[in-house]
Parts: sequence; C-alpha cells; structure tokens
Amino acid sequence: MSATRTELPALHLAGVTKSFGPIEVIQGVDLDIRPGERHAVIGPNGAGKSTLFNLISGMFPPSSGEILLDGQGITGLSPHRINRAGLARSFQITNIFHRLSVFENLRIGVLARHGVRYGLFRPISRMRRVNEETAEVLERVGLRARGEDLAGDLTYSEQRALEIGMTLTTGADVILLDEPTAGMSREETAEAVELIRSVTQGKTLLMVEHDMSVVFSLCDRVSVLVYGSILATDTPERISANREVQEAYLGEEAS
Amino acid sequence: MASMRTILILAAILLLLVAVPPFLGIAWQNALVNVLIASLFALAFNLLIGQAGLLSFGHAAYFGIGAFAALHLMIAVEDGFDFPTPLLPVAGAAAGLLVGIVAGYFATMRSGVYFALVTLAIAELFHSLAPHLQGVFGGESGVSSMRMPWQGIVFGSIIEVYYLTLGWVLICGLALWTYTRTPFGRLTLALRDNEQRVRFLGYDAHAAKVIVFAISAMFSGVAGALLAISNETANYSLFATDVSAQVVLQTFVGGSTVFFGPVVGAAAFTLFSFLVSDLTRSWVFYQGLIFVLVMLFAPTGIGGVVQFHARHRRQLDRSRLAGPYALALLGGLLIAGGVVYLTETVAVLFGQGYAVRMRDAVDGLPNYDLFGISWNPVSILTWLLPLVLVAVGGVILVRARRSIAGFWDRVGRSDGPVETKAAAPGGPA
Repeated sequence: MSATRTELPALHLAGVTKSFGPIEVIQGVDLDIRPGERHAVIGPNGAGKSTLFNLISGMFPPSSGEILLDGQGITGLSPHRINRAGLARSFQITNIFHRLSVFENLRIGVLARHGVRYGLFRPISRMRRVNEETAEVLERVGLRARGEDLAGDLTYSEQRALEIGMTLTTGADVILLDEPTAGMSREETAEAVELIRSVTQGKTLLMVEHDMSVVFSLCDRVSVLVYGSILATDTPERISANREVQEAYLGEEAS
Repeated sequence: MASMRTILILAAILLLLVAVPPFLGIAWQNALVNVLIASLFALAFNLLIGQAGLLSFGHAAYFGIGAFAALHLMIAVEDGFDFPTPLLPVAGAAAGLLVGIVAGYFATMRSGVYFALVTLAIAELFHSLAPHLQGVFGGESGVSSMRMPWQGIVFGSIIEVYYLTLGWVLICGLALWTYTRTPFGRLTLALRDNEQRVRFLGYDAHAAKVIVFAISAMFSGVAGALLAISNETANYSLFATDVSAQVVLQTFVGGSTVFFGPVVGAAAFTLFSFLVSDLTRSWVFYQGLIFVLVMLFAPTGIGGVVQFHARHRRQLDRSRLAGPYALALLGGLLIAGGVVYLTETVAVLFGQGYAVRMRDAVDGLPNYDLFGISWNPVSILTWLLPLVLVAVGGVILVRARRSIAGFWDRVGRSDGPVETKAAAPGGPA
C-alpha cells in the first residue's frame, strides 16, 4: 500500500468545487485514484456523484480546483480534449447512436483512436485495422451476434454493454462508468460485473455505483460522497464498518 | 453494397439522361436542365438534414453565392481571362465552400430551431444586402454575362448546357454518395443521432459540423453556378426565402431518409411547375397541398415509400396488394379531381375577369367556363359534383388504406409504407 502511495495518481482532484447559481453542489473534493485500481464513488441521491463525473470528463468546467490526469492538467478542457488525453466515460442514461448499427457505434470511437477523425478521402470499408479492432471490441462486450442490428433495437442490458464498449474504443487508460448496472436484474448485474472486470483489466476504473454487492465484488477502494464532499475513502470492508458512513448513507439505505 | 440490379437501373437511367434529350424540344431540354440543378441542390441540402440532422432554412444563400461567383468568372472570361468554360462551376464550389465555412461556423454553434433560425437570418442578410451592393451582386438588376466558346464547343445551344450540367451533377452526386462511405460520412450520421456522445468519444463536434455545413454549401454553390451558366444572369432574388423553402419541400417530399430521395422530389416539383404553371395560377397552392399530404400520410416521402417496398419485396404479394393499391389510386384521383375542380372554380369566381362580368350581368350570377364546360354558379349540381367526388374518393381511400395496413400488419411490418404515426425526419438507417 505504501509503495503505491508514492506513485503518480492516474487521476488527481484537488479542491474541486462546482456551484450552480448560489448552490454549491461540489464543495471541495480532494481525490486520488491510483493507476490500475478500481474505485467506486457511492453516496445518497443528490450527493453530486454525476456532477463530479461531469466535471472530470469536461461536460462543464469546475468553479475552482484542479484536475490532473496522469499528472497532466485537464481542468476545464472540452470533452474531446479530455478524451484524447486518455479518459473515457459512460453515461448513466444510455447515450448511444440509436439509428446506427451496433458495429458502427463502436467504430466511431475506434476511428477517433486511429486519428482518422475527419477522413474524407478513403472508403471506410477498406480500413482493415479499424474494422478488425471494432470487431474485437464487439466480441469483448459480447455483442458479436448483434453487430449488424440497430443500436436502438438492442435490449436494455445489451445497450448498457454497448455503452461500456464505446468507452473502451478510444483506447483511454482511465475509464469512468456512471452507474453501469442501474436498472438491471440480478443476473444481468452479475454478467455486467464480469464484463466490467474483464474489460478494465490493466486500466484504471472510477465508477458510480449504488449496488453495494457490485462495489464489494469489483472495487479495490470506495469513496463516499455526501453533500458534495468526500466523507471517507477506504477499502469496501472498512467503509462498510465506518460509523460515520453508516449514519450518512448505509444506515439510511437499510432503514 | 450496390447489387447488380441497382447498377442496371442506374445504367438505364444514365442512358436515358444521355440519349433522350437531343430528341426533345428546347422547352423540355431547359426543364431538364432545371431538374438536374434542383436535384444537385436538394442532394447538397440533404447532406445537412438527412445525414447530419441539421435543418437549414437558408440554403438559398450558398446557391446564390455560387451563381454570382460563376457569373463574375464568366465576365472575366469575356474580358479575356483564359479559363475553360466547362470548369466554371469550380468558382461556385469555391465561393460556396468559403461562405459555408464562415456561415457554418456561426450557425452550427447551435442546434435544432436555433440553427434553423440562424441559417434563415444569414440568407435574409444576403437577400437584403444584395440589391445595395452594385459591384458584387449588380444591384437590383443583377449580374449578366455570356457563355464563351471553348475548344470548339460553342455553348450556344441548350443541349450543350444540358450535357455540361449533366456531367457536373453526375460527378457531384457520385461524390456526395461516396461521402457517405467515408469515416467522416459515418461520423456525420453519429452527429445526427447523438452529438454529445460524439464529443465524449474525442471528436470536436463543432468543427465536424462546420465541415459538413461547408461541404453542403460547396455543392449548393456548384448547383447555383450551373444555374448561372444556364441563365447567363442572376439577381438578388436568388437569395429569397422561397428558394430556401423550395429545396426544403422538395427534399422532404422526395424523402430525406433515402439518399436519392431528394432527387425524386426535386424532379417531381420542377417538372410539376414546368407542366402545370402554364395551365393554372393555383399551381403553388397544389404544390403546398402535396407537401402537406406527404408529410401527414407518408412522412418518409416518396423515396421512403419506394425504399419500404424494395426492402420488403419478398413479402410483396402482388395478387393481394394490386387491388387495394389500385383502389387507393382511384380514391386519390377522385379526391384530386374534386379538389382541383373546387380550387379552379374559386379561382374563377373570385378572379378579376368574373368580377367584371358580374358587374355587367343583367340578372343574377353569369355562368362560367371551366374544363370546356359552362357551369352555373348557383346550381346545386355545380357544388354537389366536387363534394361527391371528394366524399366517394375519401371512402374508397380509407378502405384501401385499411386493407393495405392490414396486409403489412399480417406480414409483420406494422410500420407500413403509408404511416399513420408521425415519424421523425432523419437520415438513412
């Protein structure tokens, strides 16, 4: 543990705040995500979890504070710059290209990684590497049989898998997943956990998650966000034993 | 991928386009030149609405800019500048591209209604400025020039202009089709579906939209240049709202979700105005009526209906569908007859000529002539006829629609060719 402490954090947040009008939704968050760890953010509804993700991924800039990705400042950059710097995110509400095929949904991201973002002078069918890599991601998220179908025609859990697949395509090393198992049945959740485990191998994962069993089976550390600030950061076991956390969050959940 | 069948159909159309016009009269040749120009304009316009999901209400701006750019180059050629006449549309392309980059930069900062309003405002800007700018747009009278001979081709007759236009429209149409097969073409569809996600996948969505807009403006500029070459003149009326509106109507009636749909719409509307505008002054009304009906009952347009049948040709049971389809056609014709009769009657009765005759008439309302028959405006028969036509046609059409919908329901395609649900306009699936 002490050895990793000296390592440069994959993601470093210092004094990050965000106000919408007079309301300070995020009130000074300090957070270090270690390279290669799987880290969950939990907290009651309205604690600011999604806002925190939006600040990190560039949906909107923080009011103050600093965000570093592998030691490199990304504070207030636009989403596409943050993505190119090596951070990809998924969305709580499925955010895919409904009228494109599943394969094409994934290929858009693969193209971005290959730097042919605005390619106009070569047919896409001849880009072998791009198409092969897309097929690979398709396989990894278990959607090979649905590749030609419209993304809008997928079942809910398939769309969630596609959502995760899309965050992988741009080749980012830091992955943010916003409630990847929300609205899933028990079996679907178990499958999703296995999927997340396998696809984030060797990457850094930060996820918002409500389901504590998912957090326990997947994550190395947990941060508890309450009213816009971090109450505690620790291993899942110690977090669930933490009195303060129980009062603020887990107790409320149990009642 | 293009099948053998598609290639054969395209080859046949190409052969007709090349071989038939020399045998047509000048009026028809001219009409076909206008069909080709409108087709290219609609294809360029549909790059925005059909593929990027951006509805521009001001595409006349780029069409007009292309026309004026070509005319200025033609004037330079007249004055001795050595430039091949067949390449004149390059000026329209360049001007459309440049203006498209600048206008697109501002317009694409917003989406949806705001985008539409900004494009409308930009076109209005040109429309109101052009009459005052003598040097660039020739003031109110506009700019005129002459086509100069090049390499032994005189470009004096319409058929020469036709072939020049055909060549350019084919090349540009092919280019626009190829565009859909490139990475950027696929990104354009992604932008339409979900611009936010495009951003989070590492793309600068605004830059991408500016490029799409500029490409659309560039091809619109080529279409405008072709019109300038054909007419040898242009004035500020090219920037008018009805030019912008026309391309919107044509694209939607033709079907924005199918690549060649806009061509169908452009050809239909251009030929319609060519054939009908001499017969009746109500032709603009009929055009509007057709647009409203298509949007209400076949929102995917003519192209969408054709594509639906092509896609489900295996389930297409001709023996069971022929009857209902023929009935629907009959019902449609009856209704059309009734509506045309009413429209023309109203046009006559409220026209100036009839007002004069009414004043001079001794007793009551004088009879009027329509379709070669004399009608009495106060006879019941005069008004019963169109009402019966519309009512009978309506009953037949409703029944035909029901059995057509029933057929497609049974084969499991509830999204039949003629929809009752509203469908969102969008690009090719």
